[in-house]
Amino acid sequence: MTEDDFERIKEVVLEMKDTTELMIDLAYSSLIYNNQEIAEEVSHLNEVVSSLSLELRRMAVGRLSRKNTDLALILVELSYSLQRVADAAMEIADVVLRGLPLHPILRRSIQEGEVGIYRAKVSPKSKLAGKTLGEVELASETGIWVFAIRRGKKWIYGPDENTRIKEGDILFVRAPDESRKLFLKLCSGKKKL
Amino acid sequence: MENKDKEIFGGERVSIREALVEMKSLSEKIIDLAYAAIIFDSDDLANEVENIEEKLDRLLYRVRLTALMAGRDPQLAEQLLGILQVASAAEQIGDAAVSISRLLSTNVEYRPFIPFILKGGDEIIRALMVDESSDLVNRSIGGLEVEGETGARIIAIKRGNRWIFNVSDDTVIKPGDTLIVRGVEGGVEDLEAYCKGERRWGQ
Repeated sequence: MTEDDFERIKEVVLEMKDTTELMIDLAYSSLIYNNQEIAEEVSHLNEVVSSLSLELRRMAVGRLSRKNTDLALILVELSYSLQRVADAAMEIADVVLRGLPLHPILRRSIQEGEVGIYRAKVSPKSKLAGKTLGEVELASETGIWVFAIRRGKKWIYGPDENTRIKEGDILFVRAPDESRKLFLKLCSGKKKL
Repeated sequence: MENKDKEIFGGERVSIREALVEMKSLSEKIIDLAYAAIIFDSDDLANEVENIEEKLDRLLYRVRLTALMAGRDPQLAEQLLGILQVASAAEQIGDAAVSISRLLSTNVEYRPFIPFILKGGDEIIRALMVDESSDLVNRSIGGLEVEGETGARIIAIKRGNRWIFNVSDDTVIKPGDTLIVRGVEGGVEDLEAYCKGERRWGQ
């Protein structure tokens, strides 16, 4: 296995790991907000994971299997496991895609655990407006993880540290129960960072 | 509220809502623990993954049973279908976590390869040792609001030879504890500085 192969394998696995986590967050929020567009993004990401998973297995079977059977096996297994996480997210989003009527219990039970999914609009007064996610350090200072942004009709899924927050954006976040109020206040501008 | 749920589900004693809340939080925990089991090459963590998977199985069974007894009219039946799908997805995540943690049983020679890969990503998993000079010592996780302060979530604690898997807000941190945490790199680094006593809490 060359250095490049190894780097590519690492890249693919991490992308699958991050994407499957994003898919779960999106899948639950599609349910909470009964939102077809988010559910469709889960379906799109499922295809991304499928093709990454195929690439990983192809590398394993093609280049590694003769010399490194065990390693090839590990990669095949890992790719299969991550694909299953993606399938699970798909199953959740599928409830929305099918247009099933949502039982009120569903939404409540998703929000009731230690970690919930929340959304809020960034007011012009908010200190978040105009800053990048890297600058505001929400995740490391408050535990608030922004996984999607709605900007007008456009969506930004899985934003990174360079993504700039604008006034009027609707932030979709995963956050511990204790940070929920803080999140709402930061967005409304009632609280500074 | 509670009574109403039970009423909806045909007077069954088990609340589907409670089962779902538990399933969702277990499905999040089990994935973190599975990655942690691989990263730290820990059979104990892998065992806990299997335990949680069994719990998820039992909960899914309960949800299915309760739903089957309640679905009399078509509207409710469709709503229940959605609930069943979500519950079964949580259980599937559990299955996936088990298959990740079972990578531990592969050839020892290649074990180091996987942790190396899994150490990166948007959110990382680390083990942090709590020094006796740390501000965390003898304080509860909920009282400190660890996750709110650092964004890092404590998913398990190793205390001597013993593991604490049911970490809650009431869990008190002791000197010498090893915390298994998940979070973004910056937050985990902050928590590390607090654990080592290099930084005072809240600064």
